[in-house]
Amino acid sequence: MAKLNSDFIFMSSDILIGISQSTGIIVLFSSCIGVLIGLIVGMIPGLTISTGIIVLLPITFVLPADISIALLLGLYVGGMTGGSFSAILLNIPGTPSASATAIDGYPLAVRGEAGRALGIAITASFIGGIVSFLFLFLIAPILANFALHFRSQDMFAILLFGLTIICSFSASSLIKGLLSAVIGLAIVTIGQDPVMGTQRFTFGHVNLMAGIHFLTAMIGLFAIPQLISNITSNDNPKGRVQEKLASIIPSASDFKKIRTPIAIGSTIGSFLGTLPGAGGPIAAFISYDYARKLSKNPEQFNKGAIEGVAAPEAANNAVTGGALIPMMTLGIPGDPVTAILIGALIVHGLAPGPLMFLERADFAYGVIFSFFWANIFNFCIAILSVKYLVKVLATPRYLLMPSVAVLCVVGSFALRNNFFDVYIMLIFGLIGICMKWLDMPVVPLLLALVLGSQFEENLRVALTASQGDISVFVTSPISLSFIILSLISVIWSLKSNKNKKQSNDA
Amino acid sequence: MRRKNIIAAVVIILLTIIYATMTSQLPTRSLPDTPGPTFFPWVNTFLLLVLSVSLLIKSISTNKNIEPNKENKKTSSKTKPTTLAFIVFIFYLVLLPILGFIIATIPFFAMMMVLFSEKRVLHIVVASVSFTTFFYILFRHGFNIFLPIGEWQNLIAILSS
Repeated sequence: MAKLNSDFIFMSSDILIGISQSTGIIVLFSSCIGVLIGLIVGMIPGLTISTGIIVLLPITFVLPADISIALLLGLYVGGMTGGSFSAILLNIPGTPSASATAIDGYPLAVRGEAGRALGIAITASFIGGIVSFLFLFLIAPILANFALHFRSQDMFAILLFGLTIICSFSASSLIKGLLSAVIGLAIVTIGQDPVMGTQRFTFGHVNLMAGIHFLTAMIGLFAIPQLISNITSNDNPKGRVQEKLASIIPSASDFKKIRTPIAIGSTIGSFLGTLPGAGGPIAAFISYDYARKLSKNPEQFNKGAIEGVAAPEAANNAVTGGALIPMMTLGIPGDPVTAILIGALIVHGLAPGPLMFLERADFAYGVIFSFFWANIFNFCIAILSVKYLVKVLATPRYLLMPSVAVLCVVGSFALRNNFFDVYIMLIFGLIGICMKWLDMPVVPLLLALVLGSQFEENLRVALTASQGDISVFVTSPISLSFIILSLISVIWSLKSNKNKKQSNDA
Repeated sequence: MRRKNIIAAVVIILLTIIYATMTSQLPTRSLPDTPGPTFFPWVNTFLLLVLSVSLLIKSISTNKNIEPNKENKKTSSKTKPTTLAFIVFIFYLVLLPILGFIIATIPFFAMMMVLFSEKRVLHIVVASVSFTTFFYILFRHGFNIFLPIGEWQNLIAILSS
């Protein structure tokens, strides 16, 4: 009992320090700026949240860790909401997560109810975000405490699960998803080996000794193919933005209608966010589907039902808090954005994982509360400024895209003040373009780049401790459970691909 | 898609052979019954081979794509600007360490604007100069981030001393 009391006192003090850290004037200000940039980046078709965060990366290298994280979290949350603006007004989702919002959002805008749809999207996003904050606040410390008891074989099995599930979710073909992940694992072997320090595949090049920094690779993999696809894209949203938006704040009757869809979206989003690779688009579509099935008027869906806007918007914002749970407690990113957040933390000497809640619990709670503030600011800024923000949709692409290109170069150069990283970024850009052309997903490769080193280290440490006995992975209950879950995710993916193929043939 | 899958599988098999050859040349320091530095690269080699061969077999065994011409036509119309953009990018990265951020970025920005279908010369000149200057001031003086100054400035410094 005495230990429990002392643990509670320590935890309470960490929470209080975390709250005070997240409420510093500069931290709050950077959160606001992040939200504003996120709303803009999210709503512009052709720019994703990942690109927005990549563009902001060089700035975070010189800012303190708490300010950087507040800025990036603000952008993450704002980006999810911003995506719905262009989905509703133009029928072009600003982010993939807003695709489901366009189904009912755009018909509402066509009926002249764009303001109503935007208000519902903003409100649902806010509630979804707050629900996922509660998930994060309540679950993360418990999971981190539990994860402290994990041994190498358990961590290996968890990382394996993370990799297999992301391959299952992100690829149309499981083989291609797995190939992408294994290519990432092979790239990770460049540099010093994590156990003995032996140089591998460095060709005596001093810049390769530290390996390839995954942030450099990420800039290339995500931003360059997007830049190229924008050159070849003919879609120009300019001139289609509705000029006047009527009342934004939802009425009491609207709020009554969207209560259940928001509850569905928030729960599904928070849960699916914790699964690596599931992400916003899947959560949004599942929530949309459930909201339609549970609705009293399912026939109104697809024709401008406000429930069809509320459910996916609550879900995609709830994903953000859910994705932070594995990132903070296990060091496993749930999506590309949390992978960049891990990179930003590592640059500041902070490694996310169970030890963060033990060694820097104040900072961990600071991150959690920064996420809370990001949601508050997101609601306030979006509600107050949506009428003006939507005018950004008319920004010409010929100014936007060259700026992104320059910022990619600055970001990869500023990481280590080294031109080598810029060339690596370009090589990964080429890899990203080739993978896109070959219809291979890049997200498993990225996740493998982030987790590969830990994956190898835990595998080798477990085998060394057991003197090469591979049964160590099935004798530990945690390891065995995650290996079974990995197998289930592979089998499930194979089965769903087979079903899809059969229905296409039919 | 079938053709692309076959290309992907063949390319990965070739890369895996190169990777395996390099892995076989790595030093093999290890204690008895423990995995050494080559262990993980060999695991990767095995997985890459199994998966790429599976993809190849699966692609060969599936029905031929019935609309290859349409796809080719669509792709070829996109190749020119994509290749041009990549060439411009490579030139920029080659010139950046020599000319420095400002001098190299202005023409790069202008070229990219042209690739994004902007034709008004005055707009291109004003935007490329002003955006480059803005980025330089923002990062160098606003955030104290070092940006490349160019070899020519170092040369002037050496000559003047």
